[in-house]
Amino acid sequence: MQSSAANLLVLVPLLPLLGAVCTVLLGRRLGPRAHVPAVAGIGAAAVVALLLLLGTANQVGRHTDPKHPVEPVEMISTLWQWATVGDARSGDLPAAEAGVPIAPGTAVSGGTFSIPVALRLDPLTATLLMVITGVGLLVAIYSIGYMHDDPGYPRFFALVAMFVFSMSMLVAASNFLLVYVFWEAVGACSYLLIGFWYTKPEAARAAKKAFLVNRVGDFGLAIAVFLLWMTYGTLNFHDTRLADGTIVEGILGQTRIADEAGYVAGAVGTAICLLMLLAACGKSAQMPLHVWLPDAMEGPTPASALIHAATMVTAGIYLITRSAPLFMGCPGALTMVSIVGATTALVAALIATVQNDLKRVLAYSTISQLGYMFVALGTGTMLGFTAAIFHLVTHAFFKALLFLGAGSVMHAMGGVIDMRRFGGLRHVMPITATTFLIGACALAGVPPFAGFFSKDEVLASLHAKAHPDAHGSDHGEAGGRPSGPGIDAGGVADRGVRPFRPASMTSRSTALAARATGTLSTTDHASTPEKVGLDALDHPSTWRLLFWMSLLTAGLTAFYTFRAVFMTFTGPVRIPKEAGHHAHESPPAMTNPLLVLAAFSALSGIVLFFTNALSSFLAATPSLNAPAVLATAVTHAFHPDIAIQGTLAAAIGIAVAAIGHLGRRSDSPQMERYLGPLGALFANKFYFDQIYAALIVKPLEALAMVTAFFDRAIVDGTVDAIGQVPLAWGSAIRRMQSGLVQRYALAGVVGVLAIVLALAWQLRP
Amino acid sequence: MDPVAATLPITGLLLAGSVAALAASLWLLLPKTSDTANSRRLGFLLGTGALIGFAATGRSLGGVGEDAVFLTVAGIAVISGLATIVTRSPVYSAIWFAMALAGVSGVLLVLGAQFLGVATIVVYAGAILVMFLFVLMLAQPSGMAPYDRVSNEPMLAAAAGAVLLGLLTLSIGRLSAAEPPSCCRMPSRAQAMAAATEGAASEDDRSATLIAPATAGVESVDADEVAHLGAELFGRHLFAVEVAGVLLLVALVGSIAVVSRGEATETDHRRESR
Amino acid sequence: MIPATLLTNALLVGAVLFCLGLVGILTRRNLIVMFLSAELMLQGVSVTLVAWSRYHGDWGGQVLVVFVLTVAACEAAVALVFVLQAFARTGRLDASAWQALREENLPRVIDHGLPADDRVVPTWPHLSPAGVLPEGDDSRSLERDHV
Repeated sequence: MQSSAANLLVLVPLLPLLGAVCTVLLGRRLGPRAHVPAVAGIGAAAVVALLLLLGTANQVGRHTDPKHPVEPVEMISTLWQWATVGDARSGDLPAAEAGVPIAPGTAVSGGTFSIPVALRLDPLTATLLMVITGVGLLVAIYSIGYMHDDPGYPRFFALVAMFVFSMSMLVAASNFLLVYVFWEAVGACSYLLIGFWYTKPEAARAAKKAFLVNRVGDFGLAIAVFLLWMTYGTLNFHDTRLADGTIVEGILGQTRIADEAGYVAGAVGTAICLLMLLAACGKSAQMPLHVWLPDAMEGPTPASALIHAATMVTAGIYLITRSAPLFMGCPGALTMVSIVGATTALVAALIATVQNDLKRVLAYSTISQLGYMFVALGTGTMLGFTAAIFHLVTHAFFKALLFLGAGSVMHAMGGVIDMRRFGGLRHVMPITATTFLIGACALAGVPPFAGFFSKDEVLASLHAKAHPDAHGSDHGEAGGRPSGPGIDAGGVADRGVRPFRPASMTSRSTALAARATGTLSTTDHASTPEKVGLDALDHPSTWRLLFWMSLLTAGLTAFYTFRAVFMTFTGPVRIPKEAGHHAHESPPAMTNPLLVLAAFSALSGIVLFFTNALSSFLAATPSLNAPAVLATAVTHAFHPDIAIQGTLAAAIGIAVAAIGHLGRRSDSPQMERYLGPLGALFANKFYFDQIYAALIVKPLEALAMVTAFFDRAIVDGTVDAIGQVPLAWGSAIRRMQSGLVQRYALAGVVGVLAIVLALAWQLRP
Repeated sequence: MDPVAATLPITGLLLAGSVAALAASLWLLLPKTSDTANSRRLGFLLGTGALIGFAATGRSLGGVGEDAVFLTVAGIAVISGLATIVTRSPVYSAIWFAMALAGVSGVLLVLGAQFLGVATIVVYAGAILVMFLFVLMLAQPSGMAPYDRVSNEPMLAAAAGAVLLGLLTLSIGRLSAAEPPSCCRMPSRAQAMAAATEGAASEDDRSATLIAPATAGVESVDADEVAHLGAELFGRHLFAVEVAGVLLLVALVGSIAVVSRGEATETDHRRESR
Repeated sequence: MIPATLLTNALLVGAVLFCLGLVGILTRRNLIVMFLSAELMLQGVSVTLVAWSRYHGDWGGQVLVVFVLTVAACEAAVALVFVLQAFARTGRLDASAWQALREENLPRVIDHGLPADDRVVPTWPHLSPAGVLPEGDDSRSLERDHV
């Protein structure tokens, strides 16, 4: 069973890759059918992902041990060994045990650097794979209609399939280096898709900007990977067994997670976590690296829907969730995550209130919602992590729906997306209008749509951190000490056999017992509330502030979302002249995905919440099985007080938007009048781009000009000067060719004489 | 012969001086716009001196009696040769050339190549030179033309010729002083005939038996030289003789062909050359 | 066989003739004089060949001279045909008239400072006509300076 699941796991990235390769090779020849390989690949991958999801859910549901509420489920599939460097550490230093974390400052030696191409299937991966392939499939089907008459039709599908492959590998890879590789790969796919219409200078510039800003984040991830290797001696997530029987504990393997002293805290640990946060900010467009996402709207709308709403930008969320055990030892880093998330959410929501471009509104909305997810992650509780993933899933649905709807509008309006230029479109495109409205309700958090439940969980997790006493005593303190039912040092050893582990792990229990008894007493997980430095941020008052910021953001979200809805779809019907004959409802290839996504947006929230399926499913992820996280697990409950606060905020936002925009002409100035100078601040995106331009771009451009001058004038000049030498010589010698035959003969004679003289000199006696 | 080593510095100086003198004299003699009568006289003087210097270097001054005839004809040849190349008028140049031919013929006769001596006169002076004169008369009946009064690069050409002559003289001088290297030593005819009469006749010495040396001695003049040359020519080199005949025919036909085609398009060329 | 001194002398003569001919062919601009110089070089070579042949007693040298003679004759014939062709094109026997194969941006080499043609115009004595002048006789038309 495990091996078949592992084999299936390989298919999920492999099939879109094959689709991409086929599209690249045969695309031109397939003509209008160039979408077939890519769509088929992604569709097949979606089917496999569904099978894997069901299989994993089956595994989770099967082994419910009454003593232990959750048990981690993972299945490893190692494809091949990519790189092996023996004795990768420098010599002359005392040997260290492979896989045991090294305290900073300790010298290490020995250790093999080995990177296996291994994929790991656990609930988190299964969920994300389903989201990626599912939304990817819907977007691909949508693109059949949307990109219908684009000359780069095959290239688009190849890129989409390539992206699905990269993203699947990113969430399935079981090694930090592989994650880095595919982190870059999705960045590259994003660059290619933003700059799809590369002849348009704004698109090319936006693609470049996205790539460069992402690069800053990738730099953080690279340093984090280096630190991980130095600290933990391996880059694998899972535990691996060496030839001589010793176990190399993976960084996120079950052995280490269950171990008290498994992770390094302090400066190195915080550094690793903050660097990962930097990487996540880059990829998920949080401050200060959010500037690329609004510009990324230059790409085709389906690409925006897939990459910049539903999947790629969630890579940061995935990374932090996956590395939850690492973060749990550094409460300051966790708090930073939340602070960054909440600030970004609020600022982005403020900017979105004054945007006139429908896609820009949605882009800032994405940034804002991603901020929500970061806020939830930063709480460090089981509720927080699961709320973040829940919101990720629902956000994928309704944001993709909104983007595809915006694409439908753009398609009908002949490429115009400025909301002030069209209006009343609900009479023109009813299906799009309805589905867009459903998506907007979900985004705003209107019950009973999906966004309501996920936002409610996020706010609940914040509230729990803000009021630690109010929700029962089974929350661990910040930083988490292993406590709570079933999790104690002595109980670790008798967890029993896990059938999904490799059989070689049987020695684990004895090793763990030895370690637990030997080292537990020396670990210090900050059981006293005395915190220093960054960790001092982790204080209930911080969380209270973050809660109110999030609530305000919820209200703003509702406002700008419905402002966009009212401006676009209500009021008098206005069609811009670029629409031509396009101003009608989109073809079924485009509206069918809208309908599917609308159904998901409407129903998934209710289904997932009331069955608690997602949370209990995710709780079986090894990463979330860290004792610190488990200690914060609470029983699933509906929090009516938070729900009321959230709904009230949403209602106020919708009401204000209705007052300002419902039924009016979309180009009449309404709310912006009241904002005054603040409006200019919001409209200029808080001057981030200008600040970056002044601080970074201009100096770099100056440096580039100097370098270019040096290259042109000095380097090229030298080469040209060297090139001039033969020319000068030539023109000097050329005068010998006078056309006078006697002079030629004379030259010949003189030459012969010279040779003969030389010979005679050599042969002189 | 004096050992070379004892007199080498003098030889070197003499050679160098001769080379310089010859170069200077040639330069003075060759037609230039700045020629004066004095310069020409000086040139002739220098040239004579240079040639004597070469002769001295080449160790060619031996016994006078035997060389008197040779000296005369050689002198005629050399002086006429010099005059050929420096005279301004091309017709005079041709006449001097005839004189040079006479000298060369004399040298050949002294060397004992009677047939060739006469052939030189007959073929060169009788046919080739006459053709040259015909062409001159056709093309340049007035005698001297402006381009006959200037030379192309006289200095460099004179220097080159003088240096070359110096080199050749040096090697000739060394030749007379030293034994030829063993690899290139050829048995003198006397030794070959001696070997033949001793009965060790080989294939390559077939001609030796053809000749049937009546005079076994080492003579300077061969009474039957013409016959022997003829035997050699038509015996061993028969094929080459026939080919030479065909070559003559080809040259004849070729010249006529070129001329006739040239005439057909002459009017076009005339038009072009204007 | 000839003694060694005679050999050296003859070789020297041959060398001198050769070198003088070389100088002539490099220097003189008249095509005919150039060919005469070439023949001079051939003479030098002939002398050298015969000298060696007689010294060694090998007939090969003299045979070669016979062929040299033959080839010289052919060469002279063909060459003079070309000289005439060249003359027909330019009207001069000047080797420097042919400069068309020079480099593109080089100027044509033109003689400067040549003294004026010092062709002596012969002053024929002017005799009074004795008898009747034949008719239709324009004395100028029979006299041509050049073809």
